[in-house]
This record gives sequence, structure tokens and C-alpha cells, in this order.
Amino acid sequence: MTVLGVPILEGLYPSTMDLYPLQAKEFNRIHPFYENLRQNRFTTTKCKKCGNVPFPPRVVCPQCNSDDLEWVDLPTQGKVLRFTEEVAGVPLGFETPLIHALVDLGEGRKFISRVVNCKEGQLKEGATVKLAVFDIPAMIVEKKGVMDEVPRVFFAFEPVK
Amino acid sequence: MADVAIVSAGQSVFTRSCGESIRELAFEAFKEALEGLDITTGDIDASIICSAPEYDKQRSPAGLISEYLELTPKPSFYVETVCSSSSTGLRVAWSLVKSGLHKMVAVIGFQKMSELSSRDAAERMGRGADIIWESPFGLTMPAGYAMYAQAHMDKYGTTEEHLAKVRVKNSHYGATNPKATYRKELSLEDILNSEVITSPLKKFDCCANADGSSCIIVARGDVAKGITDKPIWIVGLGAATDTMTMAGRELLTGLKCAQEAARQAYKMARLKPQDIDVAEVHDCFTVSEILAYEDLGFAKPGEGVGLIEDKETYADGTIPVNVDGGLLSKGHPIGATGGSQIRTIVRQLRGEATEAQVKGAEIGLVHNIGGIGQYGNVTILRR
Ligand SMILES: CC(C)(COP(=O)(O)OP(=O)(O)OC[C@H]1O[C@@H](n2cnc3c(N)ncnc32)[C@H](O)[C@@H]1OP(=O)(O)O)[C@@H](O)C(=O)NCCC(=O)NCCS
Ligand SMILES: [Zn+2]
Repeated sequence: MTVLGVPILEGLYPSTMDLYPLQAKEFNRIHPFYENLRQNRFTTTKCKKCGNVPFPPRVVCPQCNSDDLEWVDLPTQGKVLRFTEEVAGVPLGFETPLIHALVDLGEGRKFISRVVNCKEGQLKEGATVKLAVFDIPAMIVEKKGVMDEVPRVFFAFEPVK
Repeated sequence: MADVAIVSAGQSVFTRSCGESIRELAFEAFKEALEGLDITTGDIDASIICSAPEYDKQRSPAGLISEYLELTPKPSFYVETVCSSSSTGLRVAWSLVKSGLHKMVAVIGFQKMSELSSRDAAERMGRGADIIWESPFGLTMPAGYAMYAQAHMDKYGTTEEHLAKVRVKNSHYGATNPKATYRKELSLEDILNSEVITSPLKKFDCCANADGSSCIIVARGDVAKGITDKPIWIVGLGAATDTMTMAGRELLTGLKCAQEAARQAYKMARLKPQDIDVAEVHDCFTVSEILAYEDLGFAKPGEGVGLIEDKETYADGTIPVNVDGGLLSKGHPIGATGGSQIRTIVRQLRGEATEAQVKGAEIGLVHNIGGIGQYGNVTILRR
């Protein structure tokens, strides 16, 4: 016997169980990443001092400690190096097949991502995938007694047809 | 001679569903650890409570468990490195005793996973990845280790059959372990024909969620000798981390955190892989045991499958591994697992194992990994 959940009490939003990042500028300093993502851009920060381009984006350069950074575009297409199709036991909130892939974005940049819009058995090693941006549940916030909804997006990759 | 020893080790039965609250579950292991020892709870100077959060409703379980075990007013606190929490707890206990701050410390690991469905548990485990960059992909432990398995197969020609042979061995020993969740011998066919979870891993390549608790009591050498005539000395401790993000990993054919932890532990113990008589390794998946053979130096990189092929990791082989059934048979109650591995080695070194006993074992090793290779812990014990 397992507990499947209890009805959420009115006025209570289970914020700590939300799996997605708090993207609004009130909650983090890399919010431009999500603003760019909305425009189908996959971006990170580049250090203007030493040229370092880490991913994920930073607010201080991990190599030289400079905070003089600029947003730059990363490739939005890559090649699947390896992948696994998870067909059982996927986390709540996800559907099967849940496809996880190691994607090569070029310039020695590898990235673990989910592959969406792809049926079981369809993906092949070496396939080209591209950035896919989609809506996720909005964040419900309260400011001075007024409820508001902050829309959010997230990303994955999808096969290039 | 090292001067911190384990005086006693206990665990609950690991089971799919214990039917107890976490305090009652923790008490089971504590009770077994205290059995036959001429000490009272008042002799324990501090308790370290180890688990991964969010599987049950309690926050800050240390205070709760400390009260229930009647360990108040002694200090109690929480230590967490997901699946390796209780090995980290042992490391902290060693430091507390070694520093002279305490004479005797209890390390209590627990996890109650049965309140959640396995998909809900997978969601909780997924939060153990980078919550901004990777958890939202639905990254899971089986998927992460499936990538390691593929990399090992591509580079070294490891096959699904090799992986299955690990479970054949572990199910063989699990069948004799009264504390294990799964006590049925499985054939190669059973394993190869089990349903695919995430290729190439099938259901029987995976450990299962379970409820369980473990308790290790650690004491200063002179105190230990007064309590037991079979103290088990902690002679090597190693711990390391790797990147939280899988994208940051350099290597997918081995766990760097385990390699580094092993290097430290061997160095501290002044021992080599060939000196180990019996080992417990973190076989959360069959492939994890093969990686462990190589990361611990029992085999060269890429040659781990040779050990299982030649049955060298069976109880009468050159390096017996997981002869209590491993996580694959026992089940994996996250915070309790490390303590259970340590308990097995303690019993082996004392010659008291009721499952397969490795003859004359003097030196044992515990390899306990947290997350998808994020936290590596290697502990070497000696009788
Ligand atoms: C492999 C896995 C996905 C199977 O999930 P599932 O199909 O949803 O399985 P359920 O938990 O619903 O169990 C279904 C049945 O299969 C059995 N079962 C599940 N996993 C098993 C395993 N690995 N070995 C043997 N039997 C298993 C269960 O006991 C249950 O049978 P029961 O009802 O008779 O007890 C799940 O066990 C899993 O996620 N394991 C990995 C856990 C993990 O990652 N831990 C951390 C590693 S570091
Ligand atoms: Zn810089």
C-alpha cells in the first residue's frame, strides 16, 4: 500500500514539490537564460576578461572571479552520442518513454538532456537533435495580497525531421 | 594500531513495507546493535542520524529518533549524502572519537520508502540531481547508470549477460540472508528475460526501494576493548565527490568519486587492493558492481567482467564481493544501506556471518556511493 496523495487544501500551493526552477528575476540571477529560451535561444555566460564560456551560466567567472560577463548563444543543434529509453518506473509527472540522451553540441561541449517528440525505437545514435522549448506549469505567486501567475518555459531536445 | 573501533553493528530486516513509523524502524537496528553488549544508552555520547530527506514526512528526524531511543540529552544531528549517508555518518563518528570529543557514538541510518509509489520515489531521487539543470529532465538513477553501462559496453565489450551474472551471484547469496528483501535464487534467464526498465538495464539489473534501518556503534580503542573481545578497527577512510551534473562528467566507464575515495582509503590503511579479503560494494545496479571492481583496483579498467565470469567474487574466490546478497537482494533503503554493508563486513571479520562466511577474513572493505556517482565513500576495516 502506498499513499497516492491527499487533496491540496484551499489556498495552499505545494511550492517545494514543484520540480521546475523559479525563473522570475525575483528568485535568481540567471533569469536572462529563460528570457532567451523563450526566443528559442540556448544561451550561457561568457567571461569578458578571460573568455571562459562555462555551462550552466554563472554570475561570477569560476576561472578568474570576474563578474563582467555577457550572454552568448550556444548551438541549438547537436548529435546524440548515446541515449536510453526509460519505459518503466519514470518519475511522477513524466510519461514513457522518457528518453535521456548525451548530446554533443560541438566545441567539446557535451550535454545530458531529455529528448521529446520522439516515439520509442525511433531515435538512433548519431541522430541530429535540436532545441525544443515548451511551456511548463506557471508559477503562482502572491505579492501584497494579490495573486498572480508567472508563465514559465523549459527545454529539451527533439529529433530533426 | 588504529584507535577507533566498531564495537557493534545491527540492522532491521529490509523489506518492501515495514509497517512501522520511522522511529520504530530505527529502533529495530539500535536494538540489534545493543544486544549482548554490556552498555546502556547513557554510555552513548552522541548519535548521528542518516537518511535522505522527503521520503517520509518528518523533517529533522535526528531529534525525534534521539528521543525515541532515549539518547537525550546527548547531542544528535543529521548527516546526508543520499545513498551513502550512513558511510558518511561513520566518517563523522570516527572524527568525533578520534578528536577526543566523544568516547562512543552511534550511527543510525534509516529509510522508509513504502509510503510512496516507486514513481513517486523516483521523483524524489531525481531531486538529488541538479534541481535547476537536470532534475527537470526527469533524470533518474536507472537512466544515469544505463548510460554508464552503455559506455562500458562500447569501450570494453561488456554484455548484458555479464551484467546478469552479477545478479545471479548476488541472488544466490541473498537467498541465505534472513535480512534481505529478495531471498529467491534467480537464473541467468530470469534476469535476461525480466522487463526492460531503461536499456540496457532490466528490472533484475536494478535494486528495489525498501524500508530498513542500520546502526553502527563506534568507540575509542580502549573503551572498545572493554566492551567487546572482537573490536573491528577502522583503518582506512576515503571520501570524494564528483560533479552534481551528469553533463560535467569526464568519465562514463568508471566512477571518479569511487576511484579517489579508494585511493585515500588504501593510503590511510597502508594496504593494497590485493590485501582485501572480503568486500561490500554498492551494487545499486548490476553494472555498478562491475564498475566497483575496477574503481577499487580488484581488476584493471575494462577487466571487471573477468572477475564475475571466473566466479572470483564468489565466497570462495580471490576477492569475495557482496556475499550477503548486495543491494540487489537486500533492497536499498537509501540512508540505511551503508550501515548494512558495514554490518556485513563486521560479521565477516568476526567470523560470525550466517550467510556465506569467507574463511579467515581479516581485512574488509566497504564501497558506498551516493547518487549517480556524486558521493564516493570507501571504508577499510580490520579485525
Ligand atoms: C526497477 C524499478 C524501476 C522497478 O519499478 P516498478 O516496476 O515500478 O516496481 P514496483 O516498485 O512497482 O514493484 C513491482 C514489483 O516488482 C518487484 N521488484 C521491483 N524491483 C525489483 C527488483 N529490482 N528486483 C526484484 N523485484 C523487484 C517488487 O517487489 C514488486 O513486487 P511485489 O509487489 O510482489 O513486492 C524500481 O525498482 C527502481 O526504480 N529501482 C531503482 C531504485 C534506485 O534507483 N535506487 C537508488 C540507486 S543508487
Ligand atoms: Zn574569467
